[in-house]
Amino acid sequence: MLNLEYMWGLLPVLLRYLPLTLQMATIAMLFALVLACLLAVVRVSRVPGLNGLALLFISFFRGTPLLVQLFLFYYGLPQLIDSLISITGVTAAVLGLTLHFSAYMAESIRAAIVGIDRSQTEAALSIGMTQSQLMRRIILPQATRVATPTLMNYFIDMIKATSLAFTLGVTELMGATQKEAAGSFLYLEAFLLVAIIYWVIVEMLSWGQRRLETYLNRAYQR
Amino acid sequence: MLLTRKLTLTLGALALSAASGVFAAAAHAETLRVGMSGGYFPFTFVEQDELKGFEVDVMNAVGEITGDEIEFVTASFSGLAGMLESGRIDTIANQITMTPEREAKYAFTEPYVYDGAQVVVREGNDSIEGVEDLSGKSVAVNLGSNYEQLLREQPNADEIDIRTYESNIEQDVALGRVDAFVMDRVSATQVIKEKGLPLELAGQPFSTIENAMPFRDDEAGRAQRDRVGDALDELRESGELREISEKWFDTDITQL
Repeated sequence: MLNLEYMWGLLPVLLRYLPLTLQMATIAMLFALVLACLLAVVRVSRVPGLNGLALLFISFFRGTPLLVQLFLFYYGLPQLIDSLISITGVTAAVLGLTLHFSAYMAESIRAAIVGIDRSQTEAALSIGMTQSQLMRRIILPQATRVATPTLMNYFIDMIKATSLAFTLGVTELMGATQKEAAGSFLYLEAFLLVAIIYWVIVEMLSWGQRRLETYLNRAYQR
Repeated sequence: MLLTRKLTLTLGALALSAASGVFAAAAHAETLRVGMSGGYFPFTFVEQDELKGFEVDVMNAVGEITGDEIEFVTASFSGLAGMLESGRIDTIANQITMTPEREAKYAFTEPYVYDGAQVVVREGNDSIEGVEDLSGKSVAVNLGSNYEQLLREQPNADEIDIRTYESNIEQDVALGRVDAFVMDRVSATQVIKEKGLPLELAGQPFSTIENAMPFRDDEAGRAQRDRVGDALDELRESGELREISEKWFDTDITQL
């Protein structure tokens, strides 16, 4: 029933597009982590002025679909600002993924920070730690442990969200699959194969996540 | 506020430099960037990573005459118009049907393909024999295509359940998930013939379609349009356009 020979022949073709998919997701994840940390710190410490902006940012990027944001960056903004035409599809996709996912990630980082009991802050300050020592030595190590599973969730989601880049003319894993399926009409085979590829990648990441969690949990082990 | 904006800008610049280092996109003046979906058999599709089809052959033949280097850019069909408007491609070779709205917005070449809109159903479905039988039925059309509008102009439009798809409309009709799809007759015939999906044409085409290539309606765009248009004329006169058509369709779809 399944045309396995076709799937086998398609595998190396599709794998050629995997690096681009992973590159986009990885670059976007790194930027999103930085941005999300800044947003979370602004929200937790309620920096006057910036707090409102952070709220607005998170509200917009969580409140609108990623596809809409990508279209806005790539097709919409260049009509207002001419120089933005030089943005490539890959850049627009990375930028869109970064902004979109940083809004979600900021909230889970904020939750991890505020989840740490206030008495620890008081204790740290009472023995004369500075604010940055408090953050570095007490809050962040614990918050990292709490936030890791949800952040990995977002990274996995982000890998799959790169498939939207084909609407911006970037042929990544999913775009390549769609075009191949259109040529062969073997939809089941093509999409099953790409599903397996995504799945295997995510499974490998989950394995890495488990190792990371064990590492971060070492203080709690008996 | 300033900090956030600066941050966003820096971030964008960083992403730009990181990305452009890895995936440099060249843009030359003599390069004609042609957008297509890569997902419309047999006009534009991919086999083993190679872009093929009627449109690809036509544009390559055009390039040989004009001397332009043809650069194919594939994107989801729904993204193509945005790419043309924002100047990321110069034209679209994807069987773009001329409509009054589109002609007001873009500079078109003369038509290079003539066709009809065709209703296609699952094999053995005798309840639909044309567009008039679509009342109360679900009909799939491609998002951004003009078949939706053609259907809405039908007298029984209010009773048709039109569903817009990003791709795979043939598959969903073959699966019985929707009752019919509307596509141009030429590629519908081709899909049924070549791909062994359980589909059949339902009755005669219900509207004449003229397909041409849109360019931006500015000075540079019109100049490109004229250059490509002249090349198409030449291909038509030399018989090469007909040959390309017969290669893919066993028939000449470039004549009325």
